[in-house]
Amino acid sequence: MSALPNALRITTVLALLVLAGFPFYWMFVTSLTPSSQLFASTPQFWPVWSEAGVYREAFQKIPVATWLLNSLIVAAGTTILALSIALFPAYALSRFKFAGKGVMGLSLFATQMLPEAMLVVPLYALFGQFNLLNTLTALILANTAFTVPVVVWILKGAIDGVPEEIEEAARIDGCSPAGIVWRIILPLIAPTLAAASVIAFFHGWNEYVFAQTLVSSESLRTASVGLAGFVGELSTPIHTVMSIAVIYTVPAIIFYLFVQKYVVGGMTAGGVKG
Amino acid sequence: MSQGLRRKFLAGIAAGVALAPWLIASDARAQAAAKTTITFAGVTFSEAGRGDKLRAWVDKFNKSQDKIEVQSVGLPFATFANTMFTQMGGGGGPDLIRFDTIDFYAAVPAGRLLPFDDYIKDADYKFSAPNDYLKSNGKRYGMAFEISNYVMMYNPALLKDGKVPATFDELLAVTKAATGNGIFGYAYRATMAERNGFWQDLCNFVFGFGGRWGDGTNLTLNSPKVVEGIAAYKRMYESGAIPKGADAATYRRMFWESKVAIEVDNGGVAGIFNQQAPNLAFMAAPSPFPTRAQGLILAPLTVNANTKNKDAAFTFIKWALQPDNQKELQDLLGASSVATAVPRSAEDLAKKPWLKVYDDQTANAVPQLVQGFEVRTPELQQIIIEQVLKVLQGGMDPQKAMDEAQELGLAKMKK
Repeated sequence: MSALPNALRITTVLALLVLAGFPFYWMFVTSLTPSSQLFASTPQFWPVWSEAGVYREAFQKIPVATWLLNSLIVAAGTTILALSIALFPAYALSRFKFAGKGVMGLSLFATQMLPEAMLVVPLYALFGQFNLLNTLTALILANTAFTVPVVVWILKGAIDGVPEEIEEAARIDGCSPAGIVWRIILPLIAPTLAAASVIAFFHGWNEYVFAQTLVSSESLRTASVGLAGFVGELSTPIHTVMSIAVIYTVPAIIFYLFVQKYVVGGMTAGGVKG
Repeated sequence: MSQGLRRKFLAGIAAGVALAPWLIASDARAQAAAKTTITFAGVTFSEAGRGDKLRAWVDKFNKSQDKIEVQSVGLPFATFANTMFTQMGGGGGPDLIRFDTIDFYAAVPAGRLLPFDDYIKDADYKFSAPNDYLKSNGKRYGMAFEISNYVMMYNPALLKDGKVPATFDELLAVTKAATGNGIFGYAYRATMAERNGFWQDLCNFVFGFGGRWGDGTNLTLNSPKVVEGIAAYKRMYESGAIPKGADAATYRRMFWESKVAIEVDNGGVAGIFNQQAPNLAFMAAPSPFPTRAQGLILAPLTVNANTKNKDAAFTFIKWALQPDNQKELQDLLGASSVATAVPRSAEDLAKKPWLKVYDDQTANAVPQLVQGFEVRTPELQQIIIEQVLKVLQGGMDPQKAMDEAQELGLAKMKK
């Protein structure tokens, strides 16, 4: 790549940027396109700002703010719970030798092969038994169950990359096992934690099947379900759908901007040992 | 982005999580209120225009009661049946459900619905004829929430020389002539992504050409009239007059924006156009097929067998069947009719001339089911649609495709 001339590199990056950003831009433009122009043979590429009232209406007439808050609670809850739970098995898989270690690792992978749709009926019945239906807690727990195995493997890779000598030194200095994880391991794998948090957060933020099935109260509806609710049997208010889709995307982008600094490093951490 | 700001952001997220128990608690408080709260799920609640009016209709019930409250739950059409069956399979689900016919026929034999007979006596109400389809083994499992016919809707401004097609060949010619400059002559569904809608449109063609999926005892998937209907579906598909791949929500919006000239659609759609696009001067006429038979949307209101509030659910149904409430429901649904016969006002008929075309179609309306195999319709629907897709997208001969469908269907019915 370094051999490529700067102009070519910049052009390539710009082309990729356009490719990645265009769907979002198109969504935004569609939300601000007058009805009469929606199906024009020549597509409208620029927003019509006088149509911006559709965003005000989204907040005034539709409980978008509530949906976003619910999604944020579910996504953040999933992230925190998944990272907290996954750290310990990840550390155990990385550092300890014990019978069944390989089976345990494979079992974690196997859970990823089960589609949500297959588990949703037993989960519904289970949550019903525990009176968790129609609560955001149910969504946090269900999403966490699906996220933890991936996060465990990501964190295990990162912990593998931390030299054991550092832990030895801490142990000699009197640090407890929990202290080693908290004071030594966690700061060293912070970039990977950020990367794993992105995966967990987006899983919780985008998840639809559980959110649709386990929660029926409209006040506890997440944004993914609220948005899909506008796609009706007989009609779909396109401006409303597009404007809410834009609003729905923004918090996720902001979250990514906050953690992106670490993400690239985290994604590759553990790829090379040493 | 500073470290401090990032920390504050993450702290904010943690605070957000801390709000969860509060929200959960508030929901629990709501449930603990003195009134018996039951839920009523339906896709109609999500529809623009009709949804708000339907919620207002339900609220009217709530205002009339001091011990029962019905909470309306709108869900997306595409995943409605899956969500309902998942919840019912898990031992829960809404107390009242507005199903589509095909899902109703899947729910009854699975024991998912409560019979009405202990609470609703047929003799006490003037149920219209299609309500008889909601009985199984002599027991009533639902009342018609919405009955909607299919006729041809057209935009006169987009038809060359104002010619309204009366035969299928004329339909092909008129729609081809209307196509161009971003306008399409005709629109229907032909993708697996919209399986139920595809089925409805296909039934209209097959029924219109005189075909039926079954004769009451045997499957007739490869009978000449069925094959003729499917061949016509293919001719329209290849005519270049349809926006291939556009889903119903999109092409209906295109009709609304005068970008589609003709579609065969149900009375609910006509009602939405009338409410949401009052300036659209659309008209209606019988579908231009060899016979007048067309599909019938029969959406029943049912009671979930898992309900713990049987009395409250049937109190709502009895309220819904009162003449004034039936009239209000019929008015808000558009060109559809309801469980009992409600005459249209002269004023309404004068203002909406298409209403009479829809009402007149009732005598020729056929449920979109496989006659004689109603309960197995979902399985047969899957086979038929897969075979028709081979015709449309794979170029298979319609007769051969339906011969295969017949074989597959017979094998399936033996299981």
